[in-house]
Amino acid sequence: MGRKIGLRPGPGLRADFLFGLVLVALGIAVAFESWHMPRLTELGVHPMTAPGLVPGLLGLVTALLGGILTTRSARTGDDSIAGVVGSDSRNLSRQAGRFALTLVLCLAYAVVLVGRVEFALATGLFVFSFIVLFEWNSERDFSGHVRAVVFASVEAVIVAALVTVVFERIFLVRLP
Amino acid sequence: MADGLGYFFAALGGFLAPATLFNIGWATLLGMTVGMLPGLTATLGVALLTTLTFRMGASDAILILVCMYVGAIYGGSRSAILLNIPGTPANAASALDGFPLARAGRAGEALGLATVGSFCGSFIGMLMLALVAPVLAEFALKFGSTEFFWLAVFGIVISGRLTSVDDPLKGWIAGVLGLLVAMVGQEGIHAYQRFSYGSTDLAGGFGLLPALVGAFGFAEVLQVMKNLKYETVRGASDRILPRLREVAQRTRTIVRSGLIGTFMGLLPGVGEDMGAWASYAAARRASKTPEEYGKGSLEGLIASETGNNAAVPGAIIPVLTLAVPGSAPAAVLLAAMFIHGVRPGPLIMIEFPSFIFEVVAMVFVASVAILVLGLLLTRPLLLVLRVSREKLMPVVFVLCTVGSFAIASRVFDIRVMLGFGILGFFLREMKYPMAPFVLGIVLGDILDKNFRRGMVLSDGSLEPFFTRPISAVLATITIGVIVLAIPPVRRLIGSLVRRIPFGRSNP
Repeated sequence: MGRKIGLRPGPGLRADFLFGLVLVALGIAVAFESWHMPRLTELGVHPMTAPGLVPGLLGLVTALLGGILTTRSARTGDDSIAGVVGSDSRNLSRQAGRFALTLVLCLAYAVVLVGRVEFALATGLFVFSFIVLFEWNSERDFSGHVRAVVFASVEAVIVAALVTVVFERIFLVRLP
Repeated sequence: MADGLGYFFAALGGFLAPATLFNIGWATLLGMTVGMLPGLTATLGVALLTTLTFRMGASDAILILVCMYVGAIYGGSRSAILLNIPGTPANAASALDGFPLARAGRAGEALGLATVGSFCGSFIGMLMLALVAPVLAEFALKFGSTEFFWLAVFGIVISGRLTSVDDPLKGWIAGVLGLLVAMVGQEGIHAYQRFSYGSTDLAGGFGLLPALVGAFGFAEVLQVMKNLKYETVRGASDRILPRLREVAQRTRTIVRSGLIGTFMGLLPGVGEDMGAWASYAAARRASKTPEEYGKGSLEGLIASETGNNAAVPGAIIPVLTLAVPGSAPAAVLLAAMFIHGVRPGPLIMIEFPSFIFEVVAMVFVASVAILVLGLLLTRPLLLVLRVSREKLMPVVFVLCTVGSFAIASRVFDIRVMLGFGILGFFLREMKYPMAPFVLGIVLGDILDKNFRRGMVLSDGSLEPFFTRPISAVLATITIGVIVLAIPPVRRLIGSLVRRIPFGRSNP
């Protein structure tokens, strides 16, 4: 069954244990909501077609599976966060940093920029800042930085123009 | 069958128009590129192209999607061989032998043989599609509510079991979560809006395409950018065109892998990954030189590449005949067929008698396209693998955003994409397979409607769910799969049959 790894599972790493509890809570909440859905019996429909029947059962199954996951994790001490094996805490925090930067950039583009700013401009800005921020290397000299920024700008302009033209003109799709 | 051949050749003739040939060419090349790039999967490729092509005619659009699907599963072998990173999860088994071959300076040979293997796999799968689909469609006409209910449960259980070999519990959790996602929005019998809380967006439910673009696109962007290392490639310098004799020597492996791959594709939500692993395991078991496997065995490479490409037409069989996808990309294909007004399912041979054979012809041209383009353009295509992720991933994310918006022009769908992307990322970090999750989203409605209909027909009794013959078989297999995955039961059976050696399908 689960994978044994070399590290002793510490607090915050017991992903299975916690996720199992989340599933139990989710399952019970779904079952509770389903139970309170209208049964529509006043419309004369068969009680077995009540809208809450299947989600209710699925909620119970979810809670059951979550319970098994939590119990198993508590019993065996297994943990399943990928990437823990063989990587030290410095690498982990670098990974978390890269993840956070990606998430922030993507959300800024898709939630904030798109729809408010002209699509091509939003896209260009996003591609440009993504490349520049991730390729930033403090060991580069000034001309290295200039070159990186120029390359990023060129790609940003090309992508923004190409996506806009291809989607709108060739495939006749509406853009946000 | 004569009718079938007629439809097949008629469809094939239609594809000879220059515009169609052009579509086949670019869609297959794009598919190969998507497949090659680690982080871009066949599912994402087909999903994004569905959003791009939904204004085209049904036949053109579905042809493009099939080419993308076949091309991507094949293209993934390039990066598996050259980088030891499978371009799509379906090519993981190819990396085992492909990469050692590349390191020994035989990259071109490996690429060429993988190309021929992929072509043969697609071809065998295509023959099976033509033979099995009409029969299965006719058989499926016997299916009633209880059978469709069990089919949905069986799909989730078998998909969860086989895509998460080490830990079926996680496969099943992923499947049930997918089913729960499908419960949001208007239900199919009384049009009651479940879990919508007054939101008109939620009342429509979560769209499959934005959800998939999130779970396979945005989640991958997060995953790829998070990692500290990302390999780019050098190239292949040796001969790429394989010798006929080398291929002929491996006919048995090719045929065996093709059949196993098709069968794995046919099982709901199992798909190409297991097609490759199961073919690889079977080839090793039958091999005269099993010790070479994992160290650069051409036989192992050809087995896995034949297996995963055979699973593509295999996965299309249940799409056409039961409206149940055999794999995650096939789920998108199913959604695309509905968008284009084709209603796959048991009635397909009655409502659209030519359609199955048109799809067979599509798979055929896509297979020929990967063979020709793969052998001719191997070297130039490798340039794609030199693109750094910092330059590639923002473009992928832009496409995910536009793609999820395009179908319904709803900003809500962009949010759905983001939400499923983050969810998919964490699920994958915790080793939950995505295929059962996708299958759950697709099968939720089938399971829901058919369970309630079955219960009404039996007036609240569960008996017909276990006594109708086809239901009884499906129920037995489903329950058997679950029971056999429980550790104490496995240990008990293991101690009873210890003398019989069992091969593991996922090394």
